[in-house]
Amino acid sequence: MASAHNGMRLTLKIWRQPSPQAAGRLQTYEMRDVSPDVSFLEMLDQLNEQLIAQGEEPVAFDHDCREGICGMCGVMINGQAHGPQNQTTTCQLHMRSFHDGDVILIEPFRADAFPVIKDLVVNRSAFDRIIQSGGFVSVNTGSAPEGNAIPVPRHMQEKAMDAAACIGCGACVASCKNASAMLFTSAKVSQMAYLPQGKAERSQRVLSMVAKMDEEGFGACTNTGECEAACPAGIQLSNIAVMNREYMRALLTSHE
Amino acid sequence: MATGSVENNSSWLKKLNLTWVTRLFTSSIGRKMVMGATGLGLCGFLVVHLAGNLFLYKGREAYDGYAHALHEQEWLPLAEAGLFALFLLHIYLAFVTTWENRRARSKSYVMRESKRQDRVIAAPVGSPSNWMFVSGAVVLGFLILHIIDMKLQLRPDVQHYAEHESFANAIAVLSNPVSQVVYCLGTVFLGFHLSHGFSSAFQSLGLNHPKYTPTIKVVGLIFAVVVAAGFFLLPIIVPMSPGLVEQAKQVEVSIDEAPAATAHP
Amino acid sequence: MSTVASEPAILDGKCPTGPMAERWEQRKRDLKLVAPNNRRKYTVIVVGTGLAGGSAAASLAELGYNVLSFCVQDSPRRAHSIAAQGGINAAKNYQNDGDSVWRLFYDTVKGGDFRSRESNVYRLADLSRNIIDQCVSQGVPFAREYGGTLANRSFGGAQVSRTFYCKGQTGQQLLLGAYQAQMRQVAAGKVKMFSRREMLDLVVINGVARGIVTRDLVTGAMETYAADAVVLCTGGYGNVYYLSTNAKNCNVTAAWRCHKKGALFANPCYTQIHPTCIPVSGDHQSKLTLMSESLRNDGRVWVPKTQGETRPASQIPDDQRDYYLERRYPSFGNLAPRDISSRAAKERCDAGYGVGMGGMSVYLDFADAIRRDGEATIRAKYGNLFEMYEQITGENPYQVPMRIYPAVHYTMGGLWVDYNLQSNLPGLYVLGEANFSDHGANRLGASALMQGLADGYFVIPYTIADHLATSKHEKVTTDHPAFKEALIESRNITERLLNTKGRRSVDSFHRALGKIMWDKVGMARTAEGLQQAISQIRELRDEFWRDVKVLGSGDNFNQMLEHAGRVADFMEFAELLAIDALERDESCGGHFREEHQTPDGECQRDDENYCHVSAWEFQGVGNQPVMHKEPLSFEEVHLATRSYK
Repeated sequence: MASAHNGMRLTLKIWRQPSPQAAGRLQTYEMRDVSPDVSFLEMLDQLNEQLIAQGEEPVAFDHDCREGICGMCGVMINGQAHGPQNQTTTCQLHMRSFHDGDVILIEPFRADAFPVIKDLVVNRSAFDRIIQSGGFVSVNTGSAPEGNAIPVPRHMQEKAMDAAACIGCGACVASCKNASAMLFTSAKVSQMAYLPQGKAERSQRVLSMVAKMDEEGFGACTNTGECEAACPAGIQLSNIAVMNREYMRALLTSHE
Repeated sequence: MATGSVENNSSWLKKLNLTWVTRLFTSSIGRKMVMGATGLGLCGFLVVHLAGNLFLYKGREAYDGYAHALHEQEWLPLAEAGLFALFLLHIYLAFVTTWENRRARSKSYVMRESKRQDRVIAAPVGSPSNWMFVSGAVVLGFLILHIIDMKLQLRPDVQHYAEHESFANAIAVLSNPVSQVVYCLGTVFLGFHLSHGFSSAFQSLGLNHPKYTPTIKVVGLIFAVVVAAGFFLLPIIVPMSPGLVEQAKQVEVSIDEAPAATAHP
Repeated sequence: MSTVASEPAILDGKCPTGPMAERWEQRKRDLKLVAPNNRRKYTVIVVGTGLAGGSAAASLAELGYNVLSFCVQDSPRRAHSIAAQGGINAAKNYQNDGDSVWRLFYDTVKGGDFRSRESNVYRLADLSRNIIDQCVSQGVPFAREYGGTLANRSFGGAQVSRTFYCKGQTGQQLLLGAYQAQMRQVAAGKVKMFSRREMLDLVVINGVARGIVTRDLVTGAMETYAADAVVLCTGGYGNVYYLSTNAKNCNVTAAWRCHKKGALFANPCYTQIHPTCIPVSGDHQSKLTLMSESLRNDGRVWVPKTQGETRPASQIPDDQRDYYLERRYPSFGNLAPRDISSRAAKERCDAGYGVGMGGMSVYLDFADAIRRDGEATIRAKYGNLFEMYEQITGENPYQVPMRIYPAVHYTMGGLWVDYNLQSNLPGLYVLGEANFSDHGANRLGASALMQGLADGYFVIPYTIADHLATSKHEKVTTDHPAFKEALIESRNITERLLNTKGRRSVDSFHRALGKIMWDKVGMARTAEGLQQAISQIRELRDEFWRDVKVLGSGDNFNQMLEHAGRVADFMEFAELLAIDALERDESCGGHFREEHQTPDGECQRDDENYCHVSAWEFQGVGNQPVMHKEPLSFEEVHLATRSYK
């Protein structure tokens, strides 16, 4: 914080793309007086106020809860999904992770399955379609048995919970060199595989979720582990192995 | 993509209830499984091949004895065909998945940086997992040369002996400076490939368990280093062992017989 | 919009009569049904995809209705229900500790400071048990005992352990359960999902809600949708304060536009302030983060005894610290209820004893607990919260005390609904935080999730059938003139925002509004302050329409335009909130009027004059709205002073 002002000076290089069809480009912005205590998104807010004052259209970026749980935010910061800190969403990243004079490159999450809508905003509805293809237990409201009638061993519940913690932000896809959605898909497959509630539909679930994932144009897993490192919710690579296992089991034993 | 091809061109597969086979070769996970399984099969071949090659150090008699015994086995053509199929599948799927994976992100990042903190091998170019296709391709190149050398005996710059003189032929190839460079390079890339491939195959086959996976990763590394070093040392140590070279020199040169004729028709 | 001023009326909540425990059964017997083969003839619009909206959309589709589901986010899974941390209450009595439906009902009525509707609360407590069963079946990974049975923890305002939880992410897991149920219906073709759509207006034909106007946030296209009923599940209005623990996209627009179309708005002044939030760190702060109040089990709250203290906490000796909660509430100490703790913190800071930036926070100190139990124990209990705190503030709470300050995080008020969750406009149902019905003047912890899901899974499927089966109205399409008219109205607002071409950004107006609201309509309110607030809001609103600067156009993705529309509605709604707070000349729950407090600073209710729901009818922007009353009667839980001494 050696600048003459109270905060940091930063050079931002931000991907600007007015519409899905338009060709985008990096645009450079200079910022000063960025407090190390603000979050990364608040820094972008500050930039946008600056742009509005100049009559320039602000940078579009997705965000909502700003407490790391909704999964709406997410950009590539200097080539890393959600920036330099592990297990952190963009909204929880604070500017104290940067230094005075830094150049920060900000790009949208890139994958053909996540087309850019505008600037840093992408369309992640492919994730919804993967869940639609089988990421649920088919139980209608009202038909549930008494809660304690389905005992779940604690260690299984804990594993299921760890997998269920996925926030669906898409950082796994963004950071994977193959733009693979395996970590996302496997988190749901594993959660259901660990729980007795998920057993009835396990074969159908994994077969159709994987087919949908492929159909949406995500790449395959080559076990680089980048997804796990970028995941803000700590979803582990072992979930992908669970999904592989479930898939193999379904291939060999299901009637399909 | 995957489902589409299942639907379209495989009605007979459907009738035989074999869509699972189609899935195995068209879905992302099915392919990775085949990739992993064939990879592990090839690892098994490497072990056998290295073990056989170690007879080189024992001298002509031992090596030729081993080679002849092997070649006399009736199942050898079958094993070779199997091995060829493993290679073919592995290579074919490598091309297909790489092609599709590239397609999944047609617009690339201006900048990309790893967030992994746990690299076992922190190569300056990024982790081996990012270079599987490239390292595999280099190994494939090496492999083609190796087959030309050993099996087809087509190299014009290498002294060839009669076909049954396996030891002499091997020494001749290993003493050739071009071979030495290419073989050493090839085995380095092989080790690089294996350092990720071995443990990755287990992951692809769903064999991941908190109790065993850390061990598998270490075993994978050791395997990669041992196998690579084993092959790497052959073109270095063998030509430098006067005893072995001497033994090879005693073999009659099969002057410009069949091989030369095939090489220069 | 021209409206004829109507006369104040007495509203009927249409609650069943008879024994409390049998009222919902009684109502279910009386409600008309729609036969399975007829359900596919009806279309229901569900706006919002949080716990209430997601569960309603899924359940209605399962029954066979055609559901059109709308949300502003890119995916229905992102609704703000996802951020609830603590848990969900249910009267299962798994702990054998004396819990029952009646006790949960009692705690909720008392916790709501006797300003909720008894019949609704009893039904909520009763349905709480079905919710757990339903969610377990969906695969929600609730915490378990080693034997595999469901685990519970205790929460504020209750003497039993009845809170079910999924680590610190209960809201997320429950929401994903509802979301997945909804996605299953999308795959089945029964739910049509419209994400990145904002509801801009309600279409009312012959007094009945028949559709909505939306804006496609990606293309900017204004669209209309017709249906046989509209279910509004659009959450609360905490963002009227600008800084709150709500997500940035939370807004009052959908509810407010319904209000302008004739729906009554009930008890807008009931807002809940959470005492343990991470304080504001600077001018660019965009949002506040809540930390579970369980922290107060081990942390001690204090401020320095000297005003304007500059020494760091560690250098202030114990005898120069004021542990004000322990001092003022010796028996409850640091565990005093939310509203009381919040006001006490504000009082100290206003008096100049606050710490941190601008003196707007108090210490929450774990040094004694760490000394007593060891750092490992504290880490095991609160590790994730401590990490989150450090992430945001850059301070290590194991070494320096946390700094906390209260923040707005839930709003009990909302659109008025009857026992069937139907607003005064037939065909318009309001669920979850968007309605007013179940929490009275204050909501207990772990009850919001319960209400959202009870409404969506177990109430609306029954009550909506009655409307569909009994109202004999014609089918309408979006060609009806009322749709065209509403569409033009919405388009005009957008045009007006874009054409104002002023000098001041939307965000700066929102901040200015938030400041007025927080200062004068926040934790402690006075008649004088409220009057000032009302005139300041009016001035700010005029300035907004003169000087707001919205760049870009209306026919593409334009976040500034979205924000502007929401702030425009907040500008109008804020006035109603202040008017309601001014009119309610008593203190109750989250509504604290300084004029009405006991000698030791507690809320002083006025049951004689204010034991009612205030439901406001819109009379045009800037005009005094008309207040209708729904009297509240307490048959089971008798009116008493809420005491936590």
